[in-house]
Amino acid sequence: MSDNNSKNIIDLLKQGDKLTLEKIYTDNREAFINFSKKYNIEKYDAVDIYQDAILVLRENAMRGKIDNLNSTISTYLFAIGKYKIFHSYRLKSKTELMNEINFEEKKLDFDVNLLDEELTNQQKLLKEYFNKLGDRCKNVLKLFYYQGYTLDEITEVLNYSSKKVLKSQKSRCVKQLKDLVNKSYE
Amino acid sequence: MNNIDLIDKYFENSLSPKEQLKFKDLLQNDKEFVKEFAFQKDLKKIISIKQQEDLKSTLQQFENKLQNKSPFLIFQKKWLVAASISLLIAVGIWSVKNTFFPSTEDLFAENFEPYRNIVQPIVRGESINTIEYRAFVSYENNEYYKAINLFNSVKNPSKTSTLFYKAMSYLATNNASEAIEILLPIATNKNLGDSEIDFKEKANWYLALAYLKNGDDKKAISQFSFIANHPSSSFKKEESIHVLKYLK
Repeated sequence: MSDNNSKNIIDLLKQGDKLTLEKIYTDNREAFINFSKKYNIEKYDAVDIYQDAILVLRENAMRGKIDNLNSTISTYLFAIGKYKIFHSYRLKSKTELMNEINFEEKKLDFDVNLLDEELTNQQKLLKEYFNKLGDRCKNVLKLFYYQGYTLDEITEVLNYSSKKVLKSQKSRCVKQLKDLVNKSYE
Repeated sequence: MNNIDLIDKYFENSLSPKEQLKFKDLLQNDKEFVKEFAFQKDLKKIISIKQQEDLKSTLQQFENKLQNKSPFLIFQKKWLVAASISLLIAVGIWSVKNTFFPSTEDLFAENFEPYRNIVQPIVRGESINTIEYRAFVSYENNEYYKAINLFNSVKNPSKTSTLFYKAMSYLATNNASEAIEILLPIATNKNLGDSEIDFKEKANWYLALAYLKNGDDKKAISQFSFIANHPSSSFKKEESIHVLKYLK
């Protein structure tokens, strides 16, 4: 697979393309489960670790951390998976495993899974109220805070007449959330 | 620049060194600023969590799909042996068939190449900032999804050339139906101006490919025949004749 191809796949991931995601998931799953067997990991756990690895892959793609990836997506995905196995299972063969991870990917962040984190009260409320926002707000906030678009880019992509208009829309959305959260404290 | 702008720039990763100093200073001395910043950081976090939850459930769907696909594992061994023998035969037949009779998918892959950019010359290193220019930069870099977004945002999105390259981008991202919707009116338009007429014959060829990609063999055959038998146009004539041999 050429670099160009990896780059394309990363772009598709950034766009949230579901077919690409499914293809990556399906293409590498069997190999990963077989690989995990070497470390006596049950299939069920292997699938779980594998899903986490996919999650990290997408997250790092979104954050622009692998824009210049030199390896294939599969290689990168396996590097994450190995790292996950190593961390969740405190294996004897730590050194062996670490030696296998000698790509540039080592420098990157494989700990971006947020699902197990404890939330503060305010965060819990925010999470609940975010769903109450209109689609337009959700869209703007997602693009800005999650997908890493700049305000200029969002102005263009969502067809706002100017950056100024977008900015006031965004601050209205944020304020709406703030009001909802504050209200529930009263 | 007001303080809210600084927070926006923080999330865009675009604070200058000078602005970073101001940012740090505000974090230490301005309670309102701290509150606002903390709120937006929380917001970023919960949006990310939501996205990850969505993704997790999507992956679970893929997983279920895969597991439902493999019920043959519960077959008995002798059946497996019998099945693998017939599978071997089938694969043998299939690969012979595949060599001599490529699938429509193969035909598409063999013949489809996004049409080169003849509209907007791109000069490396130059930073022209019109949307159209950036759309073609994305197009040339094979960033087709981005290109589609940008083509949608240009000043005059219904210009024939813009539509044509948008359709190319759809085809390149396996979205044949969208491509057909755009290409069909171009291919059948009788009132195109001199500068657009070129795109018409190209649209005919790509329309045929889009039908092929969509598995609509009947329409694909009639479209390729149209090109193959066209009295005045020679664009992709031979290729169409070639594809037709396999389709009929």
